[in-house]
Amino acid sequence: MKSLCFLLLFASVAHAATEAVIPDSQRAFFKSYCVSCHNAEKHKGKVRLDDIPFRIADVPTAERWQKILAAINSGDMPPDDEKQPKPDEKAAFLEVLSKQMVVARKALSDSGGLITMRRLNRREYVNTIRDLLDVEVSPKDLPADDDGGSFDTIGSGLFFSSDQFQQYLKLARVALDEAIVSGLQPKVQKQRRDPETEALKHVRGQHDKLAADKARFEEWQKSGKAPTDFGFQDEAEAKIKMQLVRGQLPGYQSYLAEPLTQTGLVLQPFTGLLGQDQTRIPGNIAPGTYRVRIRAAAMEPAEPSFMEIGLMGNGESAGEMDLLRCLRITAPLDQPQIIELPVTLTKAGSHTVGIRERRPNTSDAAYYIGGTRSKEGNGNAYRRTMWVDWIEWEGPFFEQWPPRSHELVFGKETLPTNPGEADARRIIETFAKRAFRGRAVKPEFMERLMTHFNERIVAGEKFIEAIKTPLSIMLASPSFLYIAEHAAEKPGKARLSDIELANRLSYFLWSSPPDDALMQLARDGKLSDDAVLSREVDRMLADDKVMRFISGFTHQWLHMVRLDFFQFNHRLYPKFDGSVKESARREVYETLRTVLAGDLPLGALLKSDFVVVNDILADYYGIDGVAGTEFRKVPVPSTMPRGGLPGMAAILAMGSDGERSSPVERGAWVLSKLLNDAPPPAPANVPQLSRFSGKLMPARELMLAHQEQPQCAQCHRRIDPIGFGLENFDAVGRWRAEEYTEVAVLNKVVKQSKLFPIDATGTLPDGTAFNGFHELRDALAKREADFAKGLVEHLIEFGLGRPCGFSDDDLVQSILQNTKPQNYTPRALIHALVSSKEFRTK
Amino acid sequence: MNTPLIRRSFLRSSSALIALPFLESLGFRRFASAAPVPARPKRMVFIGIGWGVTQETWYPDVKQTGAEWALPEGLKPLAKHQKDITVIQNCFHKHSMDPHSCSTFWLTGANKYGVPGKSFSNTISVDQVAAEQFGKDTRFTSLALSGSGESHGPGLSLAWNRQGKPVAGLDNPVATFHKLFSDENTPLAQRQAALKRQQSVLDTVLVDARDLARGLGKEDNDKLGEYLESIRDIEIQLSKEGQWLDVPKVKPSDHMAEPKQGMSGDKEIRLMYDLLVAALQTDATRVVTYRQPVDVLLKGLGLKFAGHNISHYTPGPRMEASQTRDRGQSELLAHLIEKLKATKEPDGSRLFDHVSVALGTNVRSQHYLDNCPTILTGGGAGIKLGQHIVMPDAKTPLCNVWLTLLNGVGVNVKSFGDSTGVIEQLRA
Repeated sequence: MKSLCFLLLFASVAHAATEAVIPDSQRAFFKSYCVSCHNAEKHKGKVRLDDIPFRIADVPTAERWQKILAAINSGDMPPDDEKQPKPDEKAAFLEVLSKQMVVARKALSDSGGLITMRRLNRREYVNTIRDLLDVEVSPKDLPADDDGGSFDTIGSGLFFSSDQFQQYLKLARVALDEAIVSGLQPKVQKQRRDPETEALKHVRGQHDKLAADKARFEEWQKSGKAPTDFGFQDEAEAKIKMQLVRGQLPGYQSYLAEPLTQTGLVLQPFTGLLGQDQTRIPGNIAPGTYRVRIRAAAMEPAEPSFMEIGLMGNGESAGEMDLLRCLRITAPLDQPQIIELPVTLTKAGSHTVGIRERRPNTSDAAYYIGGTRSKEGNGNAYRRTMWVDWIEWEGPFFEQWPPRSHELVFGKETLPTNPGEADARRIIETFAKRAFRGRAVKPEFMERLMTHFNERIVAGEKFIEAIKTPLSIMLASPSFLYIAEHAAEKPGKARLSDIELANRLSYFLWSSPPDDALMQLARDGKLSDDAVLSREVDRMLADDKVMRFISGFTHQWLHMVRLDFFQFNHRLYPKFDGSVKESARREVYETLRTVLAGDLPLGALLKSDFVVVNDILADYYGIDGVAGTEFRKVPVPSTMPRGGLPGMAAILAMGSDGERSSPVERGAWVLSKLLNDAPPPAPANVPQLSRFSGKLMPARELMLAHQEQPQCAQCHRRIDPIGFGLENFDAVGRWRAEEYTEVAVLNKVVKQSKLFPIDATGTLPDGTAFNGFHELRDALAKREADFAKGLVEHLIEFGLGRPCGFSDDDLVQSILQNTKPQNYTPRALIHALVSSKEFRTK
Repeated sequence: MNTPLIRRSFLRSSSALIALPFLESLGFRRFASAAPVPARPKRMVFIGIGWGVTQETWYPDVKQTGAEWALPEGLKPLAKHQKDITVIQNCFHKHSMDPHSCSTFWLTGANKYGVPGKSFSNTISVDQVAAEQFGKDTRFTSLALSGSGESHGPGLSLAWNRQGKPVAGLDNPVATFHKLFSDENTPLAQRQAALKRQQSVLDTVLVDARDLARGLGKEDNDKLGEYLESIRDIEIQLSKEGQWLDVPKVKPSDHMAEPKQGMSGDKEIRLMYDLLVAALQTDATRVVTYRQPVDVLLKGLGLKFAGHNISHYTPGPRMEASQTRDRGQSELLAHLIEKLKATKEPDGSRLFDHVSVALGTNVRSQHYLDNCPTILTGGGAGIKLGQHIVMPDAKTPLCNVWLTLLNGVGVNVKSFGDSTGVIEQLRA
């Protein structure tokens, strides 16, 4: 194995620890503007700086320098009545200091290769329970784990709170309740409903009520008598009633006048009951997989109509849909289509299937759009998008009985009629083998588990109930919750056992426990063989479970949490609804998978002649000929701004605040994620330039204000110009030729708005100039090596579960050197990491 | 376990105190005139308001300090109580860099990067310091409330324990009500058996933990230590539950019905306030934190924005929403103050006079982490009320305020977090 030799060679070279040092060149500045007032004799404000080390080697020193940085950044220091540095002097000092603070943070958080044992994070916990019991659990009571600013696989950052143990115990119980069945297979039931019955009843009711109000109002007007004579409280109430009549009655009249409403439900988007339909499957039916069928047709075939199907929330999330599928309805009215999809109903979850025209998920946002869209056309007529003949549910269907989940606990053989202690022991032992991922269950622990079982039997529980107690205790015990590896004297000293290697590999590439095949290889001691290991990596990368790795890793690597930081303004961006947003998020993952599976050069993520989209996103991007909800590779011409991360809707939307595009956010993202040259974190407490607020200005001009103050300029002169190159994309990643800006939006009325032409010229920090997005993308595509380095560093962190520090430089370099000939394909990068000494030792 | 017996007898002796609200209804007043009334215990409440305030309209004018100051727009609903609130400006946490963690370090002041080799660490929160002293005598050592689905940074509530690990919060008013006031219908023997069963589950997982620990290195053993700490916490909790098992829960003197499920908006927050007042009044606990949800409040006020969005306001709808939120928040605080004043202690004094309330957060607005909004009220910590204080040093540690409150309620620690001393201006 060539790569391994390389690595060993590299690792043997002694490596001086990199540390943060304020260079000589900046010490004069520091002396004359800081130390002159803060020294042994003169310590103004009780601050002394003459004794501060220039080497930032520990946390207290870092804290002192951080304070200095903050004081200069905020403009507090030097004070106005003291000698002031020239702007470029100040900018240079700040640039060096803030960069050294980044170095210091990296150096101080360097674990020196030490991997701390970790518990399963939330993603892994859900995946592990799924693989173990074939059951989905909702982990909302567990900590999210991915909001600490580093990967959720880094053990030192994963805490364990005092009530977490009880949450694990509770979740295990819920999972076992779902997994274990009793009795015979439930009979399949089937029910079909005609949604127009309820819809018509509702519409007629509303119509008649409003019509009666109208008649009352008109009579009152004619009579000249008091409003109370006609049942109104007062004149104001009468007028409000009439306003409702004017606003709503025509809609109901028009609905009833449409012949198609008599034969089926006509979906009018965004208007209450007519905008969506709910089918309630009785709560007492058996949980399992049901088939839901819908017969429907498109009413305006010229305009794409998408139907959303999902489970409706209840309680707090009432009105919100847990989306199962969004698909385009294409069938004409004379040939309706039948949609069929499987829906899994659990004991605890929702049993209400909703259908609706695609729209933003929260009811507020939908209502808002409703107000604007329904007034299209002739003023009264609502948009009518689809006709639904009937909805039918049938089930539950099981691939087998007892279901797989049950078999995973009890094994394939059926239990004897009167199962006893020996059966319990066998079940617990078999379960332990899988749940503890290769760790043997110790006799004392086993005996205690049996005691719990026996106590439940004595308490009068049936066997299949009583067995749940020891099993759920196992799922809350350390052997299940922690990915343990045996002790090493020093980091990198202990070779992982085959079982440990199987676990590390599996939680790296699947975020899940090893499957039977991988575990068997480990048990047989074959996994540590280079050829076997390499073959297993390929097998795992080809498995669908690789998406658990891709989504979990990519979400954190590319900081995609930003996509959910802000609400998007639905008035400005009505097309960017929940389905588009989710599809845009998926596009990033699916593209990475396509690059991985096709062994494409890593650079394809920077620029490519294809996109990986579904019908929703194709519609959003204006790409024709894509039908169906599955993601697929579609070629795009080079003139199109799509193809590669810089042109993806999700990435661009992340670089906005939901209202306007942000060249700063986008520029900083490109720097840190694509060019691996992260700018220092934005300093807190820097006064915001508010003199522009309320003025109509293009984003580019607003950004120029950053150049005025040296403390801003030092970073922004590198960040903002990259963002300018992406200004042809609006806040939700649509292409635009002009920038729309508005101010003083009060009560939904825009007081002032203006269109500005876009200037998308800019430069990269290395001086490469570009004119517009396409040239920027070309320039980025040339930086494949930098991009690869960033990815490798993040893969090391994620895969090894520890920070990637300066002590990893050799590992990073050797992976890059070994994979360069293969254009850094993700597969090559992963193989190189897995075969490294670091991956195979503790 | 050798200690339970001692702790148990201790708690029994203090249960006389716990039953006081009952005594009141049995003619305690008459009795009270004859015997000296034990001093009412001090209580502490911390309410975190998440994403900050509208800086232009929430802070009083810095030129008007002392007792004469005009209420700014955002605090107008507190007019009736102006003499009973103190606003202090220019306090902050020097280590806080991340505005998205505004509930994480508010009560701790910790440095996220304070432990080398770790990308996150925290330290004990001020309420838990108080709970270590005050919690010994009450059924619940402390009460951590929070809002569902919203966290303003890592953590499960505003509270962090001695090890810097998050303390879980109760986010459901109904569950909170039952935890505080509902007696279980099951017979004592059965409840004792259930407790014993839970204890035995802990013993079982400890067997596995001990076994796992054998093969681990030092660092990993420390990590496993977190699991063991969690088990120990539950053990302590269970043993405390055991000691209180035969002591009926004290019901609030103002009848409080079981809240309805699915309460939301400002109603939910108001209800949490009522519950925390009831918890203090019945002496179920003496330390309460509430990581108050911002989105819930906004929804209740009919605003279609998320809290984080609003904090990034510019003139226009986001700023208006931010101001509406500030007023809504002040109305809620006014309600709380009213309630604390109206609630009578067994000796006839107002609960208000024995409680120290701090309301604020670790972010001013947008990304500003200095001059954290801070309102203090209640007579528990003996601070000067009705004041507007602008600290001369714009970098006054917020932990100085926390230290002042701790000392004020009789928790005589020398320092807290990065405190440099108590704030004399606050002391009456």
